[in-house]
Amino acid sequence: MTHELADVVISGLSSGSTYAVMALGMALVYGISRVFNFAYGSFYSLGGYLAWLFLGHQIGYPAALACIIPGLFFIGTATERFTLRPLRVRKNWEMLAMMSTLGLALFMDNLYLAVFGPFAKSLPVLFEGAVNTAGFVVSMQDIATTAIAMSIIVGLWFFLNRTRHGLAMRAVAQDMTGSEIVGIDKDRVFSYTFGIATVLVGAGGILLAPKYFVSPLGGWDILVKAWVITAFGGMGSMLGAVYAAFILGMVEAFVAWQLGLTWTLLIWFVILIVMFIVRPQGLRGSWG
Amino acid sequence: MKALKLSNEQLIFYIVFGVFGILPIFLNGNLAIMNILTMIMLYAVVATNWDLMMGYAGIFTFGNVAFFVIGAYASGILAMSLGISPWLTIPIGGAITAGIGVLISLPCLRLKGAYVALITFALHMILEPFLKSDMGRAIGTGGAQGLLSIPPLSIGGYTFSSLQPVPWFYVAFGLSLVSLYVTHRIINSSWGLSFVAVRDSEPFAKSLGLDDFRVKLMVFGIAAFFTGMAGAFYGHFVGILSTRVLGLDLFLLLMVMQVVGGMGKFPGALLGAIIVTFANEGLRAAGVYRLVIFGAIVVAVVVLAPDGIMGAILGGGKGRRLDRFRRFARRAFGKETSEAGDSV
Repeated sequence: MTHELADVVISGLSSGSTYAVMALGMALVYGISRVFNFAYGSFYSLGGYLAWLFLGHQIGYPAALACIIPGLFFIGTATERFTLRPLRVRKNWEMLAMMSTLGLALFMDNLYLAVFGPFAKSLPVLFEGAVNTAGFVVSMQDIATTAIAMSIIVGLWFFLNRTRHGLAMRAVAQDMTGSEIVGIDKDRVFSYTFGIATVLVGAGGILLAPKYFVSPLGGWDILVKAWVITAFGGMGSMLGAVYAAFILGMVEAFVAWQLGLTWTLLIWFVILIVMFIVRPQGLRGSWG
Repeated sequence: MKALKLSNEQLIFYIVFGVFGILPIFLNGNLAIMNILTMIMLYAVVATNWDLMMGYAGIFTFGNVAFFVIGAYASGILAMSLGISPWLTIPIGGAITAGIGVLISLPCLRLKGAYVALITFALHMILEPFLKSDMGRAIGTGGAQGLLSIPPLSIGGYTFSSLQPVPWFYVAFGLSLVSLYVTHRIINSSWGLSFVAVRDSEPFAKSLGLDDFRVKLMVFGIAAFFTGMAGAFYGHFVGILSTRVLGLDLFLLLMVMQVVGGMGKFPGALLGAIIVTFANEGLRAAGVYRLVIFGAIVVAVVVLAPDGIMGAILGGGKGRRLDRFRRFARRAFGKETSEAGDSV
């Protein structure tokens, strides 16, 4: 019983940390540019597929990541530049942005289907083996995933609080007009915010791929999950997204243990609806 | 000549339905084309009601394919398990869908853009596992297999057959005509005006005592009703039903129809349905790349020409090209009037 419980907690922490990375990307883009990105899940799959392509050439994770991370960043900024920036001049741009990113998602997913076929691809694990301490067996993969996700979160925190680019992002999030007055190029901020979010969700895709595989439509699940987490934490709130990711990751682990993994989304929605009734702005969010 | 005082929107609406109404006479019951025309009529209903919710009422809903499927399953199950005539189960299916639509809309309408989009999208996502689950099986969804022998429509002694497409077409035609007419009336009623008011300045509209919640709730119900009816008809028309309808295929097609036709431009979704359905048939040769092309079209049209075909026809609300047509029509009918400015 205690062993099972410990397994559940470890699994919750591990998936919670990965979810936090992905929810942060969504919260960043929504908080800074008010864009709801429907292609988010497709970028998750993109990370997985790129990793699969590179690792197919026997070059190992470090070299593959060195190529994939800048690639994802570039694809993200280019996407923002060509599919979202032209919309901003229009009156109902928020809706157009949703349509545009949804179109992009369907484009990307069907492209995966056409290029990679309908069958799921599997990635090798980051680290093999398991750690056995005091009767608890924890796989190295889980430990590595959690450690990498945690360091990404900490790294992002440093970036947002200690660097000029990060501070510029926060300034734009707080007051768009004010930040323009002090000379921040908000179009550039939007672009690299989108790029960073793409890297975050792509990294999530790579971290989860050995466990859940990569499939053409696998991103939709992640899109909905990332959204539930950001909404639970409060749309646009970074810290809220991290808290929510760990809470819901833990819930998922317990639900998977007691009821089965397929119930996760349903239970999450129930929790979210309760949250909407009690506190519609989410854990740490505000309306507007 | 009151009929000539039509607005551009009405003109397109009547021309399209006029042409579709007589088209079967020239086609000699060509099975393939008649089936495409029937599907265009159904798609027009779904796309137009979706556009009514999204383009006019400003509700970011992505649950309309789910409404379509709910209507189809509800009607199919009622007809199969209780043996009720499809003529009754189609409107009942619509009513059940409307009920579920209103239930979903109650939490949605208190929330904002992206929240509504994902709650309705969640309905879409949850529907497939539900229909396949034991719970779904218990109400007769047939699980993963789906419904295999949905009874066709019949009048008196005549049973509609898949080999004779013309009667099917005219039922779909009637449904589409009624649904689009209702949409047209809603857009041009005080409801339509209240959407514009809320869209332009929500605080001001509300300060005037405008209760957009109630209106949006009604629109949600009406749109779900017609979408459910279209789905119900589809079930009886095709005869089999599975959760495959919930795939990205139909979802994407309907989105392209709205975007190509022009979002929030009334008969746009109808024109989009015609163009996209034929394009879809034409692109069958492209195989797996067909949907890739459609996805790219959505992005391109949204970015480059968000008003779609209707924007091109109406030329930014001035309607110059159609005015020329109307002048021609007036001359042809021998009544030259000087109502140049009556177009919207």
